[in-house]
Amino acid sequence: MTQEELTTLEVTKSVDARGTSCPGPLLAAKKAMGEINSGDVLEVLSADEGTKKDIPKWATKKKHEYLGTVEESGFFKIFVKKG
Amino acid sequence: MEENQKMCIGLFSGSIDKLTAAGIVMGGAVADDMDIDVYVLLQAARAFRKDVADDYSKLELAENPTYKDQFVKSMEGLNIKTWLQVFRELKAAGNIKFHICGTAGKVWDAHKMEDFVDIADDICGIGAYITDSQNADVHLFI
Repeated sequence: MTQEELTTLEVTKSVDARGTSCPGPLLAAKKAMGEINSGDVLEVLSADEGTKKDIPKWATKKKHEYLGTVEESGFFKIFVKKG
Repeated sequence: MEENQKMCIGLFSGSIDKLTAAGIVMGGAVADDMDIDVYVLLQAARAFRKDVADDYSKLELAENPTYKDQFVKSMEGLNIKTWLQVFRELKAAGNIKFHICGTAGKVWDAHKMEDFVDIADDICGIGAYITDSQNADVHLFI
């Protein structure tokens, strides 16, 4: 998805994991995924650099769809559609 | 239903840094839905003692021991919890079992379950560790 599409994406659930270090954001994503339905979109906010690689890899392995990442000032938003 | 992958950890170290590293690795494994069996061996059995686990004055770093204060302060600054808090939270979130090596416990004068922190599941012999490590998809020794 393009950056513009990501910024206007309708998000089902958003989790703010900016206060945690690895693997905090990943565990927050896993927990949140258990609370939404297939086809729903999860947004994870993280300030942990490693998460940018971690969550896409994890999402693909778990048969979710990684939609993309948007960089903000001092953190980023990662979007994943539940498989 | 597909069976979860298995991770087996031989946790020998009772040092703050290696216990912290073990917690981070287990966090990744829990996110990956792995079932984890941790065998608490010699030095780690001391760290699992009730009167030691939460008391960082009784635990050291395995490497760069002179940097202990800096390490602990940095961890606090990064909002990284103590190894025991991390282990406890992961146990609640995933499928982790902590098996205490009976001989290791005895070395540190800890003989019964009530001598250890509440996350300990049982006291066992080395045969269980060998069997679980043989059957694991991932086997780590820390």
